[in-house]
Amino acid sequence: MSRSPLHSGSGGLRAGDRDREAIAELLRAEHLAGRLDSDELEQRLERCLAATTYAELDAITADLPRRRRAVRAASRPRPHRPGPPGPPATMRGVHVRRVLRGLAGLVAVLVLAIWALASSGSPFWPPWVWLGLAIPFALDAAIRWAWRRPAGAARQAALVWGVGAVIEATLVVIWALVWIIAGRAAYFWPAWSLLGILAVWGVHWILVLRPRLDRASANAELAAQVEELSRSRGQAADAQAAELGRIERDLHDGAQARLVALSMQLGRAELALEHEPGARRLVEDARQEASRAIADLRDLSRGIAPPLLADRGLAAAVRALGARYDAEVEVDPSLEPRQLTPALERGAYFVIAEALTNAAKHASAQRIAIRLALAPPGLCVTVLDDGCGGADPGGSGLGGLRGRVEALGGTLTVTSPAGEGTSLEARFPIGS
Amino acid sequence: MIAEDLALLREGLVALLREHDFDVVAQVDDAPGLLRVIAGHKPDLAIVDVRLPPSYTDEGIRAALEARRRQPGLAVLVLSQYVEPTYAGELISEEAGGIGYLLKERVGDLRAFLDAVRRVAEGGTALDREVVAQLLAPRRSQPQELAQLTRREHEVLALMAEGRSNSAIADALVVTPGAVEKHVSSIFGKLDLPASDSDHRRVLAVLRYLQATG
Repeated sequence: MSRSPLHSGSGGLRAGDRDREAIAELLRAEHLAGRLDSDELEQRLERCLAATTYAELDAITADLPRRRRAVRAASRPRPHRPGPPGPPATMRGVHVRRVLRGLAGLVAVLVLAIWALASSGSPFWPPWVWLGLAIPFALDAAIRWAWRRPAGAARQAALVWGVGAVIEATLVVIWALVWIIAGRAAYFWPAWSLLGILAVWGVHWILVLRPRLDRASANAELAAQVEELSRSRGQAADAQAAELGRIERDLHDGAQARLVALSMQLGRAELALEHEPGARRLVEDARQEASRAIADLRDLSRGIAPPLLADRGLAAAVRALGARYDAEVEVDPSLEPRQLTPALERGAYFVIAEALTNAAKHASAQRIAIRLALAPPGLCVTVLDDGCGGADPGGSGLGGLRGRVEALGGTLTVTSPAGEGTSLEARFPIGS
Repeated sequence: MIAEDLALLREGLVALLREHDFDVVAQVDDAPGLLRVIAGHKPDLAIVDVRLPPSYTDEGIRAALEARRRQPGLAVLVLSQYVEPTYAGELISEEAGGIGYLLKERVGDLRAFLDAVRRVAEGGTALDREVVAQLLAPRRSQPQELAQLTRREHEVLALMAEGRSNSAIADALVVTPGAVEKHVSSIFGKLDLPASDSDHRRVLAVLRYLQATG
């Protein structure tokens, strides 16, 4: 019993909910930073939620740079947490316990000697004294065993169960002593106390432990669902962007190309019919109809994927957009073409386009500035104008913008005091 | 020579141009092919689609600029499904003429298209009216001088920016060449541009002016 929890290494110690939560938080941060992909995050979160000791938690974060800080942060509350007064855990406590144990042993032997010398023939009474001596030690051991559990439900349960077990064991020993020493075959009366203790355990289980366990598992389930949802939302956004790109390509190579070829053939027919003005007129009308269809398709595919965005990426597309609105454009020089997913490029592009429309149309801004900055672990898009401000953050325009940003896991902040211009900032996580 | 990845269009263009006495020396379907053929055939004019394999993005524009770098004086007519002033700007940022940027559907209007092909081949300029419209679109910081132009002068400026000659402008607006002449000199005066004879040079002057101030 010389091993004190606070003086041993923490590896074998049992970890608590708070520790697991801290590690889960760290894992999510590393996922955002790009060190863990979604699958790995998923696996590690599962291991983390199932981990019972610090050694297991350590193993989960062993290959991550921020692990030391996180593990320290996770274990920090332990020494400082004010708890109910527990058994002495200092070296002094250990010494006191050792001395007491020695004394108790001595008394036990003395009692045996006194019985042997003084009263041969009297009933064998020393076990009663031994029992009296043993009870405090048993209680002490049970409480310290309980104290080694992580604080919270587990420790509480261990206390209830440990103390209950000691009481019941004492009663059973008393019954056994009565039976052995007195030679009387009494019926097993400790059964009644056992029933009582079982009742206490049962009530504790029903009122305290089970609700906690249910909550914990419900929380874990919710966390897993949130994780799953945000992952599948990201995948859906990527899939949608890829699909839109494919549709745009199909339009370009299919319908648009055929219409262009058609209009060329009609043009040739027009020339061939030079001497038949009536037929020529008809062909010319047909050709113009084809031209209008091509223009319609062009507008459609521009809405799907602005050509410059598809061809040259976000930075070039935003510069062109800025030029159209006379806006100052500042792009982070470290932003590489094709660094962002198509879904994110599209999202950021349309957010900027919509913000510019708002600034020009509703705020009648004179000066507009656009900034694209890489702010790890994400992309920060800012649009500032000097217009009339007073944009309603709950209005349908900004609401739609917010929906677009949040669909990509980002956040939108709009500051628009009346008369002082509008600042719109969208932050997107990269790699979500 | 023609660089276009869609066989339907490529064959159509080839047939069309051959019917009208153009000598089509080569046709390719990707950008590397364009550069290879230019080295071999030394054509006068390259008709290039913006989107070409392998990346299907702006290969055509980059290949066209590279081709002009390798063969100075090569006339390039870029065909595109859409209008992107950024690309037009890249093409006309060079001093030399012989540049065209047209929407693909313009090939339907054969007379105008063949006229544009001839103009570009001869070192002139042919810009799609959509490009010109976007360059001339009213903007807040629009140069003051542009606002001083009359409506007619605006029309003349737009046609001039497309690369049309004075007589072509006169035909389009149904006025006499003399009237166009007067408008043009008035525009040059208001925009403070040096007067110039050559068609493509005045187009470039106008565009340079619009880009610098726009």
